[in-house]
Amino acid sequence: MFAYIIKRLLSGVIVVILVSMAVFALFWYGPSSPARPICLAETGNRCTPDRLENYEEQLGYNNNIVDEYGNYAKGIFTGREMPIGNVVIDCDRPCLGFSHRSRALVWDELVERLPATISVAVGGAFLYLALGIPIGVAAARRRGTLGDKLLVSSFLFLSSVPYYLFALLAWLYFTLIWQVPILGSSGYTPITDNPAEWFKGMLLPWLCLGIFGCTQYTRYTRGAMVETLSEDYIRTAKAKGLPPSTVVYRHGLRSALVPVVTVFGIDLGVLLAGTIFTERIFEIQGIGRWGLSAVQAFDLPVVSATALFGAILIVISNLIVDVIYSVLDPRVRLS
Amino acid sequence: MSTPTMGSETLGHLSEEALPGDEAPATKRQVSGKSPLRIAAGRLRQDKVAMVCLTIVVIFGLIAIFAGTIAGWFNVTTTPGNPAEDLNYLNGGMPYKGPPNGSFDPDHPFGIAPKTATDNLATWLYGCRTSMMIATSATILASLLGIVLGLVAGFVGGIVDKIISFVTDLFLTLPFLLMALVIAPILSERFALKPDTYKQMQLLSLIVILAGFGWMGVARLVRGEVLSLREREFILSSQVIGMSTPRIMFKELLPNLVAPIVVAISLMLPAFIAAEAGLAYLGVGITQGSSWGQTILQASSYFEHYPLYLWEPLLGIVVLVLALNLLGDAIRDAVDPKTRR
Repeated sequence: MFAYIIKRLLSGVIVVILVSMAVFALFWYGPSSPARPICLAETGNRCTPDRLENYEEQLGYNNNIVDEYGNYAKGIFTGREMPIGNVVIDCDRPCLGFSHRSRALVWDELVERLPATISVAVGGAFLYLALGIPIGVAAARRRGTLGDKLLVSSFLFLSSVPYYLFALLAWLYFTLIWQVPILGSSGYTPITDNPAEWFKGMLLPWLCLGIFGCTQYTRYTRGAMVETLSEDYIRTAKAKGLPPSTVVYRHGLRSALVPVVTVFGIDLGVLLAGTIFTERIFEIQGIGRWGLSAVQAFDLPVVSATALFGAILIVISNLIVDVIYSVLDPRVRLS
Repeated sequence: MSTPTMGSETLGHLSEEALPGDEAPATKRQVSGKSPLRIAAGRLRQDKVAMVCLTIVVIFGLIAIFAGTIAGWFNVTTTPGNPAEDLNYLNGGMPYKGPPNGSFDPDHPFGIAPKTATDNLATWLYGCRTSMMIATSATILASLLGIVLGLVAGFVGGIVDKIISFVTDLFLTLPFLLMALVIAPILSERFALKPDTYKQMQLLSLIVILAGFGWMGVARLVRGEVLSLREREFILSSQVIGMSTPRIMFKELLPNLVAPIVVAISLMLPAFIAAEAGLAYLGVGITQGSSWGQTILQASSYFEHYPLYLWEPLLGIVVLVLALNLLGDAIRDAVDPKTRR
């Protein structure tokens, strides 16, 4: 068991390192010059080759990429001092660099935007389960009836629509056109400022994520429950005279949930890594939105930070899922 | 041939037992003249939903191929119109003629766009072409990559399998959206200084990105199937008679994998269409030329006064993706009736 976790952990670390290297290298060799966007912005689109070279020199973009990546990686663990021109910026650990666009330390910005993303992701993920599992169980119990068939086909229909269109329409109608009182004010207010406003602003994004995502969970739960409910031990439990709800929830659901938990762990990681469409559509200033705008402005430090952050979260959630799964199901560990 | 036990439960193999829908061949001389895929095609033909979806997909395909000709019939082009003449600047840049305020305008059946006065029908037609072209090319590229890697990993085994499996898992771990977001603008920016090739390069880089993050499913599937197939007698005997490894892989193994591959591919297409439009909506996909996602991005700020402008590309995506998804599900059911819900 221990060796298994270590093995998974090691491969996770390799993934994170590879991702950060890839993003760094892509930016370095990718666009004409990583300093070009900054140069364009600073000189009012009059970026001459001389000026570009000045910026490259100031920002360290004409150094060796291996050295710069080494500095970057070292800074994450020990912090570093970053000379930009003749100013030295003190960047404590974990140092993710300095955003040239917003002129702030990347880590500080990340921490600032994290609560919004966590709010969206956790609320949405909660609704995945809170809606998906009961609906799935109910459908499995009424398998083959008209209601079950209607539900399955309507959910298949819903999950075939791309998520961003679903969310966009929800925003356009609820917020813009109908201005529904509670759902109409989507946006992020810190929970510490005003919990009621926070809840009101998050409600529509949560519902969109939840309703769209729960289709998947309903399908998994329904499938697993249908299988479980035909097992012998369920018949035994029924024969003992246990009330139907105990049979379904205590005996059936417990084993049916294993695959659902797996999917959920991975989804939560993906959600936390960046609810990009949700944040873009509902104008929530979270990690996803931040990464998106940084990508469009070629803000290398911010982009590497978001990619690194996303990869770490996904690797961690995968790891946790693997461990939970191997505890629940010994066959996984042994294979 | 007995039914072997195979790994994949969803994208499975063909079952041998005939369904009530299959009638026996009319002539009695030939007892079994149908290949497994033709049996599946026969089942698919019975499926009304699948046939409706197939018709829709074919229509979209024809629109994509003949976008230029169709635009010619209606006499519309994607070149921007004359905003000063066609748009009412006092009314938020809304067109004088046609929707949203006027009635149907025969010159521009879908209306014209605010701000640029471009014809919506032409944008829509070429958007359909962009979408279909990117999704189809990415699907072909991704499945080729997946098939080759899966075959090699499954059949050669050993260290090759370890490496390919590691890379597959690595790519599966990466968050697609985040990675596409990072790579797409970088690749397209690289060509931004060469305007004559910019448009083509943007298409190409998008295809590469989509395929680069789409091949893993097929690779895993093929590998799993090959692992169970390669222990079977017909592979052993072809090894014994001295067939070369590539020949065994492509002449012996591949024909046995056609059914699961067809299923995987049919579900890949709608995913790529949605992804292409999604990236364009985020502003990191196609920015040169027409794309449905790009139109949606522009139209969402005019939605209050000009909903038709948004609904046109949106319905295009929804109908196409829905039809492709349902068709994919139907193909899966036809290929393997056991998965029927």
